[in-house]
Amino acid sequence: MATVTGDDGDGDGDDGNALERSARRAMERPWTVYRAAFTFGVVAFVLITLFPFYWLLVLALTPLTNVNNIDFEAFGLPLPVPVPQGFNPAAFVEVFRLVPFHRFMFNSIFIGLVTTAIVLVIASLAGYAFGRLEFRGRRVLMVLFLAISYFPPVTFAIPIFRYFTGGVHLFTIPGVTAVYSPNWFNTPGALITPFSALFMPLAIFILTTFYSQIPDGLEDAARIEGTTRIGALFRVIVPLSAPGVATAGVLTFISIYNEFFFSFLLTDGQAQSWAPIVWGILNYQGQYQQYYNLMAAASLIGVIPVAVLVVLAQEKIVSGLTSGGLKE
Amino acid sequence: MATESESSRSATRRYSPTYWVENMTDEQFAYFMLLPAFALVGAFALWPLWETFQMSLHADNLTGSGYVGEFVGIENYVAILTGEMTALLGAPFFDLDQPLQSALSVTLIYTAISVTLELIVGFGMALILDKEFYGRRWVRVAILVPWAVPIAIQGMIFYLIFLPSVGFGTQAMHAIGLFSDTPFINSADLLIMVIIADVWKTSAFIALIVLAGLQSIDRELYRVGRVAGASAWQRFRYITFPLVVPTLLVALLFRTIQSMRIFGIIRTIGGSGGCSTLPSLSCLVVTTFQGSGRYATAAALAFITAVVVAIVAGIYIVGFADVEGGAI
Repeated sequence: MATVTGDDGDGDGDDGNALERSARRAMERPWTVYRAAFTFGVVAFVLITLFPFYWLLVLALTPLTNVNNIDFEAFGLPLPVPVPQGFNPAAFVEVFRLVPFHRFMFNSIFIGLVTTAIVLVIASLAGYAFGRLEFRGRRVLMVLFLAISYFPPVTFAIPIFRYFTGGVHLFTIPGVTAVYSPNWFNTPGALITPFSALFMPLAIFILTTFYSQIPDGLEDAARIEGTTRIGALFRVIVPLSAPGVATAGVLTFISIYNEFFFSFLLTDGQAQSWAPIVWGILNYQGQYQQYYNLMAAASLIGVIPVAVLVVLAQEKIVSGLTSGGLKE
Repeated sequence: MATESESSRSATRRYSPTYWVENMTDEQFAYFMLLPAFALVGAFALWPLWETFQMSLHADNLTGSGYVGEFVGIENYVAILTGEMTALLGAPFFDLDQPLQSALSVTLIYTAISVTLELIVGFGMALILDKEFYGRRWVRVAILVPWAVPIAIQGMIFYLIFLPSVGFGTQAMHAIGLFSDTPFINSADLLIMVIIADVWKTSAFIALIVLAGLQSIDRELYRVGRVAGASAWQRFRYITFPLVVPTLLVALLFRTIQSMRIFGIIRTIGGSGGCSTLPSLSCLVVTTFQGSGRYATAAALAFITAVVVAIVAGIYIVGFADVEGGAI
């Protein structure tokens, strides 16, 4: 290596020498090059990943009259990224006025929290059974639950839609009346119930893993102290598995906040009909289609709740997502 | 007197729910704990599945009361698969002459391309995150945020990037010789946008699972490899890759099942016309039952979708068994 770089020692200009010197340094210590390349790769990667959010910010801050000519330059200098043409933070206020976007967000968060609570309670009961008890049919039932999450939502959607528009004849009380399914279309119940069922398998899976790891002795001790069986679950097992419960809760909430299909189908899209954030966004795209700055502002605001969750609970999310993959 | 009150107390105890639960065998208690989960999943997953299947065996009912007409057996399936339904559906189920206009091929092409790209990008991300470096926590947050973005907002972001009058995306695509002037009503262009959006959002999922696989590899193996004179590439090829493959297949299976549900992102990027520009299987189900009220045909399509997903998942599982059983 040294001979290669030492070969043409004479007659070169300063430029060549500097180049040669840095080349020699790179060859002698290749890890500095690797590290530089690696850092460059990571930075580029993060920038590309976050760029779409920056684009939303540029668009939201640009006054509506200028959105059609957003340039890649500022003060006549070319830039690698677009920059806002003007400064109009009022878009972030206006976005709540044109469409009741806060109501859509509230609907989404409310539905997400209620569903998450239901899922955690019911999945805790099931997770206890799967994780801590031996019974016939345990494996088969577990597989049955997991199989639910394999089916595409379209295979459930049509009957559920009919069910909540009151079209399903459940039973008849002889001589009194026929009982039909509840007309919950446009109420939170129409989303909370199917979400609870469809997002539960993941929570059951995570909680089963955590609950099975609590030593039997702790539960026995609580039982000897006089706690009931279910009391032992909620006073001993669940508190000791707090990280697992948090993981299941965060993943369930994010999945529901992100959900599109049922959110799209089971409401008429009005804020007062408990339509979730999906419709807040679609309303902008449909009815107010020239307000591009508000679309961008709405999108940024809508991301905030989940972005905060990701920052606060990233370890939980990572462990929850990967537990599924590694268990098989 | 005393004995009477004693016996009545024990009688109340015997009928109190707590007493009843406490005296169950383990097996009874397990089923008891699973009951709520079963009720929910039964009502909002198993019943809808069965009902969808029932509906698919009936004729459409467009005039009378009731959702479906008389029992027709597998006629709907035959009509869909032979192409007789094409005119009614608005897009063919499968037609090799126009692959980007027929539901089956759109879904399969989209899934194949996006999952492949996500695999490449996700693997790259995982290799980066496997290294120790300053700020790794924040890099992980950066790649997780897109994963947590609601589908509707994900669609809105890429709509605003590629909207010819506002965004820079279409111009950039023109510069490399892609895209027409009206990308949102061009099937190939919309497909590319949807794929880019999906890779942006979900590569992180694969990255995390692969990362968990990478970190479970015994570091001693690399030491042995280095001592034996293996190059970096050889260490990757003969140590890292084979040990990550089983985890990778699980991640790919999850992603494939999810990709084949594609609906929301087409609906948001393409707007209300998105589903006619790029009709995926789920798109076809929704337009058939919402647009024209053909519940039976929609149900048959939904079931076909589930079967297609099952076939593709089956191919993976067979492949998985090979890897597990094989030399690797």
